Amino acid sequence: MQVDVPRFIRRLFSEEAAFAFSVAVLVIGLVAAYLAWRWTQRALTASGFVDAVEGTPFERSVRAIGSSTIGLIASLVAVFVYVLAIVLALNIVQLLDIQLFWTRLTSYLPRLLIAALAVIVGVTAGYRAELAVSERLRSVKLPEVAFLGDVIKYSIFYVAALVALAQVGVSTNALLILLGAFAFGLVFLGGLAFRHLLAAAAAGVYLLLTEPYAIGDEVRIDDRRGVVQEVDVFITRVEANGEEYIIPNQEVFQSGVVRVRG
Amino acid sequence: MSAIDGLVDEVVADVDAVLLFSPSAGTYEAFADDDADVPVVVVAQENAIDAETFVELPLAFTDVDGRLRFGLEGAAQNGLVEDGDTVACATSMFGDGMDTVVRVQADQYSPTGVYNLFVDSRPQPDVVRDVFEVCIELGRKGQKGKQVGALFVVGDAGKVMNKSRPLSYNPFEKSHVHVGDPIVNVMLKEFSRLDGAFVISDSGKIVSAYRYLEPSAEGVDIPKGLGARHMAAGAITRDTNAIAIVLSESDGMVRAFKAGELVLELDPEEY
Repeated sequence: MQVDVPRFIRRLFSEEAAFAFSVAVLVIGLVAAYLAWRWTQRALTASGFVDAVEGTPFERSVRAIGSSTIGLIASLVAVFVYVLAIVLALNIVQLLDIQLFWTRLTSYLPRLLIAALAVIVGVTAGYRAELAVSERLRSVKLPEVAFLGDVIKYSIFYVAALVALAQVGVSTNALLILLGAFAFGLVFLGGLAFRHLLAAAAAGVYLLLTEPYAIGDEVRIDDRRGVVQEVDVFITRVEANGEEYIIPNQEVFQSGVVRVRG
Repeated sequence: MSAIDGLVDEVVADVDAVLLFSPSAGTYEAFADDDADVPVVVVAQENAIDAETFVELPLAFTDVDGRLRFGLEGAAQNGLVEDGDTVACATSMFGDGMDTVVRVQADQYSPTGVYNLFVDSRPQPDVVRDVFEVCIELGRKGQKGKQVGALFVVGDAGKVMNKSRPLSYNPFEKSHVHVGDPIVNVMLKEFSRLDGAFVISDSGKIVSAYRYLEPSAEGVDIPKGLGARHMAAGAITRDTNAIAIVLSESDGMVRAFKAGELVLELDPEEY
C-alpha cells in the first residue's frame, strides 16, 4: 500500500505535484500530531490518570525534568504521529530509495511506542500496587509483610519489561520460562503452604454466612463440648470450664457439630 | 523567688522515677540524656518519640486524676515502679504543654484497676477503647438532642448470652459488624433507644442488642443512688468475665464495671 501511493500520485500528477503533496502531508502530519497530543492529554486527564500516577517515583523523576507523565505520554504519541508523517512524505517524493529500510522502520515504530508505554504503565502500576498492598497491610505490624509489596512491585516490573522487550524484538523465551517458573512457584507452593488456612477460610465463610451456631450456643465438636465464644473466618472458639478450644473451621466442617439444646 | 524554687525542689526531691505524660520530643531527650539515675517512663496515647519505657494511654483522659492513676497503675503493672517508690509526674492540666508536677507515693493511692480494665480484661484493649468512645460520644451529644442511657457488656459473650434473654428480635443477628467501624458507631447510637443491653464479643463483634440480663445480683456492691442499669452491669461482670460500660441516663456519666466493681467514672462532657 505504501509503495503504491507515491507511484499512484506520480502517475496522476507531475513530479512537482508529488513534492507539493509531500509538503502537504508534512503539514497535515504536524496538525495531526498536535491534535493527537491534545487528545491524549485530555483523555488521560479525564480518565483520572493524574490521580493514579500522582506521587509515584516515575512521576517525580519526570517532574524533575519539567514534565509530567501525561505530558510525556502525549509527546510520545505526537512524535510517533509526526515521524509517521515524515516517513510518508519522504516516501512520496522518493528522496530515499532504500525502501526496505523505511518500511521496516514504519512497522518498527509502533512497537517502539508500545514498548515505551509498557515501561511507563508498568513502572507506575508497580509502585501503585505496592502502595495499595502496604496500605492494606498497615495494621499487620510485621516487618516481613513489607516484603510482600516488593514482590508484587517487582513482579509487575518484570512483566512490563517482558512486554517491552518482546515488542522491540528481543528474544524473551528464557525470561518467559523464568516467569512461568515464578508463577508456578507462587501458585503451587503458596497453595501448598496455605492449604489449611484456605480450607478453614472456605468453611468459615459458610459458617459466618449461614450461622448454623451462634455465639452463646452450647455445642459439641468431636469430643470438645462448650459454649461458643467467637466465630471468625479461620477459627471457632469454644469454651468450657476454663478451657478454651480454638478449633479450625475446616475441622468443624469435617466432623460436624452437635448443638446441645437444654 | 527562692521560696518557690525551694518548693518545686521539694516536690521533686529524691524521687525514684519520673512519669512524663505526653512529653514533647525535646523534653524527653533532655530527661533521657540526663545523667541522674532516675528511670523515665513516658505515658502517652502513642509512642511517637520512641521512648524505651512506655505506657499506652487508651483514652485522652482529660481529668488529671484519672490520667495519673492510669499511668501509675500501668507503670506498676509493668514493673517500672515498685511499691513504696516516690514518683514525680509531669503532666498538663490546662491546655497543651506541661504545667503540673505532682509528687505521688506509689502505695499512697488505692489502685482502682483502671489499667487492668483496659489491658488485662478479656476483650481486646482497642475494643474496650472503641466502646468507651461510643459511650462518650453518645453521652456528649445524646440521641437526637435527648439524653440517653446505654449498657454495653463487652467480652465473654458466650457466657453473657447464656445469662440473658432477648427482649425482642436481635437487630444484629447474622450481621457481622464490629465496634470501631464509624458506620457501626452510628448504628449503635440509633439502637441505643432500644431497651436492654448490647452484647459485644472479645474481638469486638456486636453479638446482640435488646438483651435482658439475668445475673444473680447477690453481693454486688455498687454506690447507692445508681439505678437498675448500673446494678445489672455490676452483677453481670461479677457473674462472668465480661466488663460492662454504662452510660447513665440520669447524670450522663460513663462508668465501667469489672468483676462487680465500679472501676472508672468519666464525664463525657469533658472530652
